[in-house]
Amino acid sequence: MKRQWSKKVLALVVVLLFVGLAGDVAFSQEKVIKIGTLFPLTGPVALAGQRCKAAVETAVEVINNSYPDIKVPLAAQEGILGGYKIVLVHADHQGKPDIGKTEAERLFDQEGVYAIIGSYNSAVTKPASLVAERRKKLFMCGCSSSAELTKRGMKYFFRMAPTDETESQEFVTFVKWLNETKGANLKTFGVIYENTEFGKHAAEEAKKAIEAAGFQYIADVAFNPGATNLNSEVQMLKGKNPDVVFGACLGADYILWVRTMKQLAWLPKVCLNYCSGYQDPIIAQQLGPDGDYFMGTTGYSPELAELMPAVAPVEEIYKTKIDPPVPFDSDSIQEAVATFVLAQAIEKAGTLDPDKVAETLYANEWESPLSLGGKVAFAPGGQNIKAMSVVTQLKGGEYRRVFPLELANSDPVFPIPSWDKR
Amino acid sequence: MRYRRSGFGFGYMIFGILAILPLIPGPLQGPFAKHVLVMVLLFASMSQAWNLLGGYCGQVSFGHSVFFGIGAYGAGMAVVKYGLTPWPGALLGAIIASIVSLVISYPCFRLKGHYFAIATFAIVEIFNRLFMVWYWVGGALGLDYPIIEEGWQNFMWYDTKTPYYYGAFALFVLVFSITRWIERHRIGYYMRAVRDGQEAAESLGVNSPRVKLAAMAISAFLAALCGAFFVQYNLRVDPPMVMSLDMSMRFVLITILGGLGTLWGPLLGAAVLIPLQEYTRAIWGGLGGGVDLIIFGLLIIVIVIRQPRGLMGFVSWVMGRAQGRG
Repeated sequence: MKRQWSKKVLALVVVLLFVGLAGDVAFSQEKVIKIGTLFPLTGPVALAGQRCKAAVETAVEVINNSYPDIKVPLAAQEGILGGYKIVLVHADHQGKPDIGKTEAERLFDQEGVYAIIGSYNSAVTKPASLVAERRKKLFMCGCSSSAELTKRGMKYFFRMAPTDETESQEFVTFVKWLNETKGANLKTFGVIYENTEFGKHAAEEAKKAIEAAGFQYIADVAFNPGATNLNSEVQMLKGKNPDVVFGACLGADYILWVRTMKQLAWLPKVCLNYCSGYQDPIIAQQLGPDGDYFMGTTGYSPELAELMPAVAPVEEIYKTKIDPPVPFDSDSIQEAVATFVLAQAIEKAGTLDPDKVAETLYANEWESPLSLGGKVAFAPGGQNIKAMSVVTQLKGGEYRRVFPLELANSDPVFPIPSWDKR
Repeated sequence: MRYRRSGFGFGYMIFGILAILPLIPGPLQGPFAKHVLVMVLLFASMSQAWNLLGGYCGQVSFGHSVFFGIGAYGAGMAVVKYGLTPWPGALLGAIIASIVSLVISYPCFRLKGHYFAIATFAIVEIFNRLFMVWYWVGGALGLDYPIIEEGWQNFMWYDTKTPYYYGAFALFVLVFSITRWIERHRIGYYMRAVRDGQEAAESLGVNSPRVKLAAMAISAFLAALCGAFFVQYNLRVDPPMVMSLDMSMRFVLITILGGLGTLWGPLLGAAVLIPLQEYTRAIWGGLGGGVDLIIFGLLIIVIVIRQPRGLMGFVSWVMGRAQGRG
């Protein structure tokens, strides 16, 4: 009896081995480029990670197949490099830097991916991109916002999104413009931020930009993400009473912060938010009228569609890849841009040699209809110098563009009407 | 309870096998397999450090990730802030972790049983928040390693895992040898006596607070060394990476799964749990939706239900059957 069992098991193992080998052979005959994605698919920011992954899948769908009506480079043709198809290998870093590093190593060494696209959290992108750099492989980063990432002098690292640094400067420029043209007389600034890598970094960049412009930085308020109560934090702001507040609060923290300000009947004259809860249309909906008149930067929102006509048909595909279907947001669309730009560079270089592709990425300005401004170009260190964002203001639940003037479709309402006058 | 004075032949055999493991050609040669082996040895060592206090001395602590973290920060600060090698930082971190553990546990040890465990929960949160706002150690931004020279001096390598494996192996030998020595030594008997009945032990003249504090200090020291290895392996540290309940739970889980208060339990637990965790993530993690975590959880439940004494219980059951037959 026992011997029969062992024979059966042995036969099964042999069959499986053959199937595995045959699969490998079949795989190697096709012309494929394996690309890894590394996002937080589980853990506290899983929702954002899932959206980013879907955005990369959308871009690959467009690149691999022929979509003549989509006005994005490579959409009309099938595949790249004369018929190569991109195959994605997904990995989950759970929002943890140590797992991100391990998964990046696994993607390169075990899965044999050509490049990695990722990884949303700046704290994870740091060690994961170091892995790519050591292996002389490309790491395409969509939306990690820490300015540090592109100050490391890396050769194989490219980032699409604007950084906390550029956003801080844009905020300050906007406030100066208000002072000059509207006689706003805004002098004092405060920052409220979640105490994480993202929030702390944003606050540091904010402080730099504010002080460089000669304004006073008078309130520095940190809170723990996922807080259940922000009363003392808002009391601190109220006590210092700055004219302008910059916020770096994600998701539910943003809702809580706005509601706490209402509860304590306080508002600054102007409130600007980094890529954060402010940008999420679902959160804007939940806040209803309370969310109005706040401002922030946006790299993409459905209201920007008129500036970016090529997005709509791509967004239709994206909606089939994510459940429930949502439009692109500022973060996820950058991951699609990263995928397109990588494919364009491979196509233009005419080779898969990472060194040549990296050189090509630096040497050219790329058409990018999914980016605000429509172009992507890289400075040494890998920052996209064409990265733009626009200052928007929520009015009646809609994101209206208020700055820079050439993109504006609305005049900013300020100071923010107090809670009792709404 | 009788504790047999047997030789350490089995132990030397295990050490020998582990020493030549990376030299064996075949599936263990891949970088990911090496990574899994490194993690197994690291977490076996770490769980053994926890086992000294939780298993042998019966003081269940959920705060060990704090000592792990202090060790990690010791090495990290030496390299990132002061441009030194990690060695003095690791040693200083381990000493500080020991001192901190004594300061914390002195009042906590007046609490018995569950109350001590609950107090250690709070300690993790306190230290996590403290390090998050303490900008001298990098605060929420954490410490990122610069690219410096590889080698034993800086204890870091970028493209190979083999030296890390031997580093983890050395740590493993150190922690297991110390545990084995304690197990046979007077203090080991005192620790078990305190675990099995504190009042009874005290009536026989065992100074239980002193025994518990000694176990705590040794345990924290070894945990910090493991933390220093962890930061050298990942080249980054921030508070959520090391000082979290999640991390603490892992040490507890591995030890309980392997066999609480046994010498080889932590190794067995780590040898099962870590590959399970790494390979389920590698195979199913990309699907999203946490399939890997669900499967991982189910497997743990199955093991615990089948054998409440942990894997060591299972091993001794098999040995018992074999001896009964033979």
